[in-house]
Amino acid sequence: MSVQTLGQKAPRKRRQRVQLTERHLPLALLLPSILIILLIVGFPMVYSLYLSFTNFNLTSPGNVEFIGLQNYINLLTEDPNFWKTFGRTVLFISLAVNIEFLIGLGIAQLMARAIRGQSLARTLMMMPMMFAPILVGFQFKWFFNAQVGMINNILYTLTGEPHFIPWLIDTPQGFIALLVAEIWMSTPFMVIILEAGILSLPQEPFEAAEVDGASGWQKFRHLTLPMLMPFIYTAMAIRSLDVARAYDIVSIMTGGGPGMRTELIWTYVNRLAFTGKQFALGSAMSYITVILSFAFTYMFFRNVMKSRWEGAMDE
Amino acid sequence: MSEEKKLSRRDFIKAAGVAGSATVVASALAACGATPEPTAAPTEAPAVQATEAPAVVGKPFDGKTVRVHAISGANYDELYKLVPAWEEKTGATVEFVFKGNGFETDKRLVQDFAAGTVDYDVCWDHSSFFSQYVKADGLEPLDDYFSEEELSDFIPRLLDATTRDGKLWVLPRHFDISCMHYRTDLTDKAPETWDEFKQMALDITANNPGIFGTQFAGKEEALTGRFYEVQTAEGGQLFNENWEPTFNGPAGVKAATMFAELYAAGAMPPDMTNFLWEDVAQQFVTGLIGMYTEWFGWYSYFQDPEASQVAGKFDLARQPVGDGGIHSGWAGHHGFSITKAAKEKEAAADLIKHLTSVEGNELESTLGILISRQSVWDKIIAEAEGSEDPLAKKRLELALLQASEDFKTPPLIAEWLPLSNILYPILQQIILGDIEPQAGMDQAAEEAYEMMKNAGYYS
Repeated sequence: MSVQTLGQKAPRKRRQRVQLTERHLPLALLLPSILIILLIVGFPMVYSLYLSFTNFNLTSPGNVEFIGLQNYINLLTEDPNFWKTFGRTVLFISLAVNIEFLIGLGIAQLMARAIRGQSLARTLMMMPMMFAPILVGFQFKWFFNAQVGMINNILYTLTGEPHFIPWLIDTPQGFIALLVAEIWMSTPFMVIILEAGILSLPQEPFEAAEVDGASGWQKFRHLTLPMLMPFIYTAMAIRSLDVARAYDIVSIMTGGGPGMRTELIWTYVNRLAFTGKQFALGSAMSYITVILSFAFTYMFFRNVMKSRWEGAMDE
Repeated sequence: MSEEKKLSRRDFIKAAGVAGSATVVASALAACGATPEPTAAPTEAPAVQATEAPAVVGKPFDGKTVRVHAISGANYDELYKLVPAWEEKTGATVEFVFKGNGFETDKRLVQDFAAGTVDYDVCWDHSSFFSQYVKADGLEPLDDYFSEEELSDFIPRLLDATTRDGKLWVLPRHFDISCMHYRTDLTDKAPETWDEFKQMALDITANNPGIFGTQFAGKEEALTGRFYEVQTAEGGQLFNENWEPTFNGPAGVKAATMFAELYAAGAMPPDMTNFLWEDVAQQFVTGLIGMYTEWFGWYSYFQDPEASQVAGKFDLARQPVGDGGIHSGWAGHHGFSITKAAKEKEAAADLIKHLTSVEGNELESTLGILISRQSVWDKIIAEAEGSEDPLAKKRLELALLQASEDFKTPPLIAEWLPLSNILYPILQQIILGDIEPQAGMDQAAEEAYEMMKNAGYYS
């Protein structure tokens, strides 16, 4: 029974009532879910935002005072560690995502061209993604261990002399070790998205380019890359959000140390909020971090829309 | 066209109201512990069931449930094997609502006390952590539940370590204290002072290629604690009587300088700032370390020839003294507390008595753990006379001596871990040469002062 049919036969008042009901019914049915989501997601977020404006400390939970923007001011103007950590995190995100993109694009190109064994290659490629980040952290912590680690053992085999290189301690080796672990774990994600993009590209432009005598690089530069842009930006946006939340691997491999040499935002939040018991300060820092994530996401999605618009114009 | 029933707004609200009310009522019933019954009433006489399953008479906590927030791990879980016997004796049931390692357990306790979400009667506790829970008003003083006679068998310094504001908060289960472990194939004597320790570490390193003279656990509370015990021996204090930081004084700077100089000289592993307890123990059993300060608790692992390359090749000694003429002796004990929110306080106290009883201590002593009752110490030292292990008796006597004379906990304040959180990254920077010892200690003292000020210690 359609609304129109009912509406035509019903009096005016009745018709308005039925239309109102039909329009509100989906919302009414969704209401319990919305309420639950608000309770589970919205409440903690609003509450932690409120806490970030207080002096709430886990060692004296009964003594909570509203202090306005003081935590944000302290972090932004008085805490030198905050800006170091912030800068290091931005660098970490930028390097990890871009290196993953370059490696991922290369592998995706190769896999898209493979005549046989694509399924096997894809399965193998996805294996790093199947490991929990915490296990990846332990694995790479062992690889880079100074005494019994695999890297130093390989050096020993190659040179015949014992090496006790403290990879996770020295600067910038510790930072690079974290990058290697992150890139190893997450490049497959980039490969999968980009390969899906490559396989979905229309073949006609490539055939036309072939007829015009375009080289492989020219086809990649002027056809593959521009048409792949929406996939690239989407993958990079997702990965940026992921890397911005990097905690497990860092926590296991270096704990943000030594001496804060590899501290990233979330390990610092953990040190402030939980180990240091300064929950309000930790909440304030979390919100600053969320702004960072928003910025990356906005930048990538703006580029996605732009590249889609440019694609549409080309057509 | 068939007539279909239309859903009006009023109908919907009515239906939703009924459904909502039902949900609320069901939730309320569930919250009260009532189980909704099926509408058809049973026709069987319930009296028959009552006579078939009579209540057990004479059990003091029959039908009660004691909820426990506990530490877990191979050595810790063994004690929980005594729980069924207690349940049988008292008629109560024990429910473990959480089990985790010490730091996880502490983190959860802090959050629960802060959020007021404690729904358990007994919690694991530690002499380094309990002050946080007391400050959060989360614990019940134990004095009313244990008589002086019941407490008289416990080593006094263990009870003192968790007595605050004149009240006892934790009943000790077992303790550990650090002592000097040294390789007898590399040196024939233990260092007696920290200055001697430093020189011996340098000598061992120089004379034994591939071996590091010493090591320390190099991060988190582990590093802070090691610094604390060295600077205490050197005559320093973390705070003065007004709770102002004083660890940037000569003793603290001397202790930090020793760490930095040993590292710079290559007398400690290059990645020691990434070591925690398991890592330093692993370094020692692989034969890479000449001597270091370690907990007694690892002894059986170190003496296991299948796991350890130093089995039978090391000895134990009392911690060195420093310029203050004081032996180091960072120590802590595990125990049990009753939460203020406990619903079954009497039963909780009885369970704690059972777990820390002579029987419980004897069980834990078989695992090599240092237990809390003097009477059990006397017994196991006597039994160690006939042991094939040449260190068995010496180890026990040394541990008891240290527990009686050198047992030093961190300051009994809730801010111990926040202090450590400030101190250890700066100590790491000092060790790695990123900052000079005096400058680093001054910076840490300044940050600690701010932290204590924010915590309300200064007017």
